[in-house]
Amino acid sequence: MEKNHIIALIPDYLDNLLDTVQKEKFESHIKNCASCTQELKEYKALFKAFENEEQLEPSPNVQLKFLEQLELEKQGETQVVSIDRAHVKSKNTWTNDLLKIAASVVLLFGAYFFGKQQQSQDNKAEIAQLTNEKMVFKQTAMLSLLENKSASRRIQGVNYVEDLKQPDAPIVKALTDRMLLDENTNVRAAAVEVLAKYTSSETVKDAFIEALKTEKDPGIQIMIIQTLGDIQEKKAATPMRELLKNEETQPFVKEQIESILTTII
Amino acid sequence: MEQLTDEILMAKVAQGNLDILKILFNRHHKHVFNFLHKMCGDKMLSEDLTQEVFYKLMKYRSSYNNGKFISWLFTIARNSMNTHFRRVSKNYEDLDTIDYKLVIQEEEKEDYSDLHLAINKLDPSDRELVILNRFQEIKYEELAQIVGSTPGAVKTKVSRALKKLKTIYIESN
Repeated sequence: MEKNHIIALIPDYLDNLLDTVQKEKFESHIKNCASCTQELKEYKALFKAFENEEQLEPSPNVQLKFLEQLELEKQGETQVVSIDRAHVKSKNTWTNDLLKIAASVVLLFGAYFFGKQQQSQDNKAEIAQLTNEKMVFKQTAMLSLLENKSASRRIQGVNYVEDLKQPDAPIVKALTDRMLLDENTNVRAAAVEVLAKYTSSETVKDAFIEALKTEKDPGIQIMIIQTLGDIQEKKAATPMRELLKNEETQPFVKEQIESILTTII
Repeated sequence: MEQLTDEILMAKVAQGNLDILKILFNRHHKHVFNFLHKMCGDKMLSEDLTQEVFYKLMKYRSSYNNGKFISWLFTIARNSMNTHFRRVSKNYEDLDTIDYKLVIQEEEKEDYSDLHLAINKLDPSDRELVILNRFQEIKYEELAQIVGSTPGAVKTKVSRALKKLKTIYIESN
C-alpha cells in the first residue's frame, strides 16, 4: 500500500473502524516504516488529548431558566411577550419606587422649609423608615410571587430568592413550603436547587429530610438524596433506608441511595 | 421513559407532551454547551446560546420531522451561533468570511487546554467538524445532515481537518 494511503487510515485504525484485511495490511506496513510509525505516534498523542479533555459544566441557571421557559410555554404564553411584560412590569415598579422616593424627598424638603423649627434628626428617621418600608415591599413582592397561581411565576419567585445573600426566616419558610407542598414538579425542583445552597441552616436541613419522606418524583428524590449526601447528613439515613424498603421507589433511586448511604455512615 | 430513544421522546414532545423535553434537556444540554464553548471560547455566551437552542426546540417542536434528533439539535445549535455572530459582525459580511475565533490574551491562556488552543487555530468549518466528530462522537452520516453535505465528503473533510490539527498540536507542544 502507498504511504499516503496508510497515513489516511490512521484515524480509522485508532478508532478501530478498519476491517480485518485492512488492519493486517496497515499493521504490516507500520512495522517496516519509520515515518508512518512516527505519524501514528503523533495521532495517538492527539487522540489521547481529546480523551483527556474535560467537559465543562454550565451554571445551574441554564437549567432553572429552561424550566421557567417550559412552564411559560405550557401556559401557551409566548416567551417574547411574557419577557416583555415582566420587564415592563418590573420597570414600572422600579420607576414607581423611584417616584415614591423622589416624591418623599420633595415632601421632606417641603416640610423642611415649611416648618423650619423641625430638627434634621427627624428627617433622618423618616428616610430610614422609608428605606425600611421599601425593603419590606420588595420582600412582600417576592413572597407573593411564590404564592402565584402560575407555576412559571412561582419558579421566577424561587429564582429571585437566589439573588439574596442571606434569605431571612419568612423567605426560607416560603421556599421550603414550595419544596414540600408545591403541586408542580418543576417548581419543587427549582426550590430544591436553590435551597441546596443554604444547607448550613438547620431549618433547611430538616426540610430536606422531610421532603425525602414525602417526595414521589424520582428526579427530585435523586436531587434531594445528592444534596443530603453532599453535606453528610446523618439524620437522613433512616428515611433513606425506608425509601429502600418501599416497593414504589424506582430502582435507579435505590442505587443512588445505596451509594450515598455508604458515604454517610 | 428514561430508556426511550431521543427520537421517540422528541416525537412525544412534538405531539404536545412538553414535560418530556426535560429528559432531552438533561441528556443533551451539557453536550450542546460544550460544543458551543469549544467553538467560541466564551462561557457566558455558550450558556445563553444553550438556553436559546432548547427554547427553539420547544418553540419549533411541531416542525420536528422524526429524523435523527442529534442532527436536528446540533443544526439548531450551529445556526444559533452563526446567527449570533452574524448579528454582532458590524459589516454583515458573508458567513464564510466571519471569523469568530476567540481572542486570547496572554494572561488568559491557562484557562484553555493546549488542545482547545490548537483547535482554535483551525478555520471555523474545520473546527466545527472536529469538535462534533471527536467530542460529541457524531457519526459521519449525522454530521453530513448537520453541515448539509454527504457522508463521504464529510469523512474526507474530517480526516483533513484532523491532519491539520495534529500538525498544529504537535508543533505547539
